[in-house]
Amino acid sequence: MIVELDGVTRRYGGEPAVEDVSFGVAAGELVAVLGPSGCGKTTLVQAIAGHVRPTAGRIRLRGRDVTGDPPESRRIGLVFQESTLYPHMTAFENVAYGVAAREDDPESRAATVTEYLDLVGLDDQGDASPGSLSGGQRRRVELARALAPEPDLLVLDEPLSALDRSLRTRLRDAIARIHRETGVTTLFVTHDQRDAMAVADRLVVMADGRVAATGPPRELYEAPSTPFVASFLGRSTSVSGTLTGTNPLRVAIGDTAVRVDAAAGDREPGDAVTCHVRPRALGLRRDGDATRLPDDDSSTRATAGGADSARLPGEVTAVADAGRHYDVSVRVASGDELVTECTAAPPAVGESVAIELPEGGVTLFGPGFEPSTAAGSGPTPAGRPDDGTE
Amino acid sequence: MSVADSVRSLVIRRPERAVPVILGALLLGYFLLPFVAFLSRTGRVAVVAGLSEPGARAAVRNSLLTAPVSTAIATIFGVPLAYVLARRSFPGKRVVESVVVLPLVVPPVVGGAMLLTVVGRFTPIGAAAAAVGIPLTDSLLGVVLAQTFVAAPFVVITARAGFAGIDDRLERASRSLGYGPVATFRNVSLPLARGAIVAGVVLTFARAIGEFGATVMVAYNPRTMPTRIWVDFIGGGIDEIVPVSVALLAISVLVLTAVQRVGRVPTVIDR
Repeated sequence: MIVELDGVTRRYGGEPAVEDVSFGVAAGELVAVLGPSGCGKTTLVQAIAGHVRPTAGRIRLRGRDVTGDPPESRRIGLVFQESTLYPHMTAFENVAYGVAAREDDPESRAATVTEYLDLVGLDDQGDASPGSLSGGQRRRVELARALAPEPDLLVLDEPLSALDRSLRTRLRDAIARIHRETGVTTLFVTHDQRDAMAVADRLVVMADGRVAATGPPRELYEAPSTPFVASFLGRSTSVSGTLTGTNPLRVAIGDTAVRVDAAAGDREPGDAVTCHVRPRALGLRRDGDATRLPDDDSSTRATAGGADSARLPGEVTAVADAGRHYDVSVRVASGDELVTECTAAPPAVGESVAIELPEGGVTLFGPGFEPSTAAGSGPTPAGRPDDGTE
Repeated sequence: MSVADSVRSLVIRRPERAVPVILGALLLGYFLLPFVAFLSRTGRVAVVAGLSEPGARAAVRNSLLTAPVSTAIATIFGVPLAYVLARRSFPGKRVVESVVVLPLVVPPVVGGAMLLTVVGRFTPIGAAAAAVGIPLTDSLLGVVLAQTFVAAPFVVITARAGFAGIDDRLERASRSLGYGPVATFRNVSLPLARGAIVAGVVLTFARAIGEFGATVMVAYNPRTMPTRIWVDFIGGGIDEIVPVSVALLAISVLVLTAVQRVGRVPTVIDR
């Protein structure tokens, strides 16, 4: 392990910013620390870099306890959200500044600087002053400056947040490429689920100063461990019901019992549950789709005999054009509204349809789950027209 | 179109702009008028001859000896303090901040009297210093003490604002690049706050070389330019003080432009 955190806690006047955080980063890994703003992730990485001293817990770098060590002895390359290039130095001098602290020979120093400016594609901008560089170029110089001393760990604290969208995607790709080429162990801190999922080998999701979940991005997305992780990692839609059977798993939703392909955990029949699913994973069957559409009394039939049905009849309440797809809201018998994404011509409002629950991709939570379907508010939902993860 | 016409049309068409223009112009006129009236007397008074008098030359020399020393002391002791005040929080910080501005709110002449109660001839400190041949009153050292007391807050306050204006992440980045706190201060904080520090130095110097109230209490002799001006004025009226006053003015303006120029030149980009 390059970095190991063991119960790291940081309080500000009794108020915990980071509470009992433990995780490790293996050599060469790119781990994203993902969480909403104010979740303590910046405090956490500042503690790793040595700029904030933990109130409790230990931090080890390459197996050595560095909890009380100053930043200059830690060999951590740091890139902040805002540019921290020195305005009184050129791009070359900025990169050389970090190299000079550890390399005395001016010739090999210059060679290192050139090598890293080349790595970020700015070898011709060495004489430029930071003020004359574009926002994206400044980020690249900062990456070069952080990497040139060959740190044990590269920490990127919201490196893309101050950039506009197209620049953001390009720089994100550049970070992934640089990570591939240099193999530097990287901690990528972000509040943006898409950035995190696009580059990270592993996610550490944080909420309220604690680790909410860790794991590979796709796994956490499809099978979120908590309601927070579910809604933070992307768009969610959910329907509440009552567990009626565990093998196979069945949930009664309104007057319909449906088969649900999910893990029951330690829940028992009779428990109130929320079935969580990604809108994109839901199927939509229209009236008139001769083969598979339930007719008007389908609900009765499903309850009576359709033991293996994974379909929920309902009525379209709203259709919104989201560009690459339509968001179709469907009210089902329980009164819940589910959102599905439909790429073909959408049904009309008021039309009777059936929602089809997918095989896998359904997660059961307790009652009271609040889905995050609103685009643009809070966590950035997946599946928007400009969604980079698609 | 005459000035009056322009003003009239401005008042009618753009009253929201006319108010600051008129008020500002009156204030600036009030600033400039004394300069013009005073300097117009240079025609009637022989400035060069006045300055070649031994007394006047001694005053100029004394001021040029003491004010730079006071400014240097204030800068050396004040800039690190300014940095700490800008970056650290500690118990009692507010008290320290109040102490920094104390010499500014105390009238200089009172400040001089207060200094006398510490370094005066009959105080333990003053007596001890005089005994070893370093009198702290009525000496150039006394002038320096008075000037430093009155002028030092300027460099502290101005430099502090300069340090506070530097994003502390620039310093964190330097630490993470392998530099300790002192090297970071030297390589990053100091160069980036240079403009503010230079401004503070200029203000401090201008205040020190023009200091009168505290100086006259602590060191009536040897004469500096301001004390000489006062003594001459009591003895001979306005025309008597024109030569030294012009010299004082000229030195202040020279230092201001020179230091500002030096302070600005070598930055890669000017912010």
